Amino acid sequence: MDSAMEHGVSAAHGDHGHHHEVELSIWPLIVSVGGFLIPLSFIMAFPWGMSSIGMLLSGVAVVVLIGGLFGWTNEIYANKKDVGLSKVAIVIFILSEAALFGGLFGGYLYSMLPADNWPPLNTPEGVPPLGLAIILSVFLITSSFTIHIGEEKLEHGDAGGYKTWLIVTIILGALFALLMAYEWFELIHEKGFYISLNTYSTFFFTITGFHASHVIVGLVMQIFCVLMTKSFTKEKHTLAKTTGLYWHFVDGIWLLVVSLIYIIPYFKVGQ
Amino acid sequence: MGKPEPTGIKAWIFTTDHKKIAVLYLVTSLVFFVVGLLLAIIMRTKLLVPDREFLISNELYNVFFTIHGAAMVLFWMIPVLLGFFANYLIPLMIGAHDVAFPRVNALSYWMYVGACLIAVLGLVLPGRLDIGWTGYPPYSVTGPANTALYVFAVHLLGASSISGAVNFITTIITLRAPGMTWGRLNLTVWGIFGSFIIQLIGVPVLAAAVTLLLFDKYLGTHFYDTNGGNPLLYQHLFWFYAHPAVYVVALPVFGIVSDIVSTFARKRIFGYTSMVIAMMIITVLGFEVWVHHLYVAGTLNWSRIVFMWGTILIGVPTGIKVFNWLATLHKGSIDLKTPMLYALGFIALFTIGGITGIANGLVGFDIHVHDTHWVVAHFHYVLALSMSMLVLGGIYYWFPKMTGKMYDEKLGQLGFWLTLVGALIAFFPHFMMGVDGIPRRYAILPAEYTGMIRISSLFSYIAIAGFFITIWNYIKSARSGAPAPANPWNSLSLEWTIPSPPPFYNFEKIPVITSDPYEYGKPEGHGEEKGAVGGHAAHHH
Ligand code: HEM
Ligand SMILES: [Cu+2]
Repeated sequence: MDSAMEHGVSAAHGDHGHHHEVELSIWPLIVSVGGFLIPLSFIMAFPWGMSSIGMLLSGVAVVVLIGGLFGWTNEIYANKKDVGLSKVAIVIFILSEAALFGGLFGGYLYSMLPADNWPPLNTPEGVPPLGLAIILSVFLITSSFTIHIGEEKLEHGDAGGYKTWLIVTIILGALFALLMAYEWFELIHEKGFYISLNTYSTFFFTITGFHASHVIVGLVMQIFCVLMTKSFTKEKHTLAKTTGLYWHFVDGIWLLVVSLIYIIPYFKVGQ
Repeated sequence: MGKPEPTGIKAWIFTTDHKKIAVLYLVTSLVFFVVGLLLAIIMRTKLLVPDREFLISNELYNVFFTIHGAAMVLFWMIPVLLGFFANYLIPLMIGAHDVAFPRVNALSYWMYVGACLIAVLGLVLPGRLDIGWTGYPPYSVTGPANTALYVFAVHLLGASSISGAVNFITTIITLRAPGMTWGRLNLTVWGIFGSFIIQLIGVPVLAAAVTLLLFDKYLGTHFYDTNGGNPLLYQHLFWFYAHPAVYVVALPVFGIVSDIVSTFARKRIFGYTSMVIAMMIITVLGFEVWVHHLYVAGTLNWSRIVFMWGTILIGVPTGIKVFNWLATLHKGSIDLKTPMLYALGFIALFTIGGITGIANGLVGFDIHVHDTHWVVAHFHYVLALSMSMLVLGGIYYWFPKMTGKMYDEKLGQLGFWLTLVGALIAFFPHFMMGVDGIPRRYAILPAEYTGMIRISSLFSYIAIAGFFITIWNYIKSARSGAPAPANPWNSLSLEWTIPSPPPFYNFEKIPVITSDPYEYGKPEGHGEEKGAVGGHAAHHH
């Protein structure tokens, strides 16, 4: 997020010696306190059975975390520099995210391939809801196009156009998230398909849940970009670039989710 | 130029300076090294007498080896290498003012501290962790342990590692000084680079593995139970990271050995390019061997053969490195200062461990020794003791740079010899016990092995005494050592061209690099400015 990097590089070619851009910052510590309280609240709520204190603590944790991140970004803006992870960094980070999903998909295949029935026989009728998945896919794939159009606009110096297309993207992404929530609700309450039902439901909710959490992170980044549009220029809009790359990644993962978690089980192999 | 360096307690807690963060990492990880050693002393003492009641209960023994293993691997070895050495050395060696994202760097450190706190809770609170450092289900799901502590410690460490990996890989790619080509990087930088690549790809998979453990325990999911799930899945996901984790430790260590050996033999490192290639091959191949931990777990036959060959294959680049070090030593003018002693001691211990590792990788042999004390002996030689020793040697090597003071050479050598003698012998009896089929992780061992165990414990104490003397030496010398010159070893590497300790901003101006760090004995390198101190020929423009 902060980037002494660009500065470092320019200092290498430049004339005057630059020194630490940031010397002291309270925000990393605050953010990690928030990051520490979240697991602690879980431990209170579950293993120790103190659910009300746990809930309270998790609320505190979220506030600390958001406050920390807010202060952090604010501090960077005070320095008035191009903001956003560099493109190199976001690509490296995406590799790591890909490995995370690789692990989950690997585990899924490891459980599915040797199974005689997939999904297991106690899976209710109408699961997986393929029709819904197709609608979800349409939203997400379209949104990948709209964010791309937005970036093109920005590259041609049309910040207003960027903003418009980004808002369209956000609407599509939000529709995706809402529909996903609806789908979960339906499955759990109407169809009797819940996370601890069988191995398939276990993977279904875990993987779609992991993916949805990435969608939400992507949406937060996009909303942030909308707020920041006026600071973007033709040359300096690293944040817009990184947000776009991340969104395409989330979209790509969704295609794998649809193929492995919806389409294959839909054909009820072995039955 | 620039603002003055901040001072006081705030300058540490709120710091984003890579050198300060490095020191914080060093202190914290040393604390966990000591914790791990204290637990080892208690375990070794418990084993002296094959009696249920002696010293600690059997249950507590389980907790102790769990926390000992986790503390040593996850809170000492990896953080000291990728937290301390990477932080301190990378910007200095590539010629940068700091890392790419200084705040993220501070965040990585504090998340590591969070994980440390959780680990301590796992040692002292009820529901103590007794699941081994591997945390295998079903026991970790169905047993009494508070597995959530284990999972969240791994999560926080993982977040710390991934942000560190993104930060440092970006730094190495984008912040190298002009003229600092890939072919001029110190091997230490290369090793750390490979190590962070492994962290980047491996840690998320470990994070996924333990998250599913959490779900199984608290949400009733079926990832690892036998009701449709499969406990073997955990073993696969765990070792997909945890085997390469050995190389996370080993690659930087290989780099540091190379730098030390080259400096104290006053010779160009032999086969620089082959070293780099070997490191990168290990980075990739490290992900191709994990099933050797599952030979007896019921994996498919063909996969055992494939992974056996993978394991044997990875011995090749590793062997190349050992030969390159020996070739560098050959006809060098060797100066046996403490760091060099550690490098040589490392090569000896590592070779013993490495050869036993190849044996361990053979399916037929491993079926016999799997989960026995053979394995305990093997990894204490190849990783635990050899690499901990090398880390201590590395700290000695850069001690004058960091502190501006010289360490106590006599005390340094004393600590080294004690540790070496202890380490060479302490785990040797375990090879024999393993071949006899004595399983690991038991607090009570058959009485006929008491003699061997006592030898082992005696030499463990000697090794640990050496460790403590070494740590004492750091503390003492940092407070009252003789002042150190900028370049006491006459090294040609970039970090030695700046004053000791380095100024707040590292380099007055970003240097322009015209030669590589290993050009010893070349009267005219391609460096433009080669003073008596030598110097990675950095000229300032
Ligand atoms: C002189 C120092 C050390 C001594 C005396 C020592 C001793 C021991 C003992 C007695 C065990 C338990 C064996 C069993 O009953 O199965 C053990 C396990 C272990 N040690 Fe060490 N150790 C030392 C240093 C280290 C270091 C530096 C590391 C760093 C990597 C390390 C890593 C481990 C691991 C990973 C385990 C396995 C834990 C488990 O089974 O879950 N040890 N050690
Ligand atoms: Cu292994």
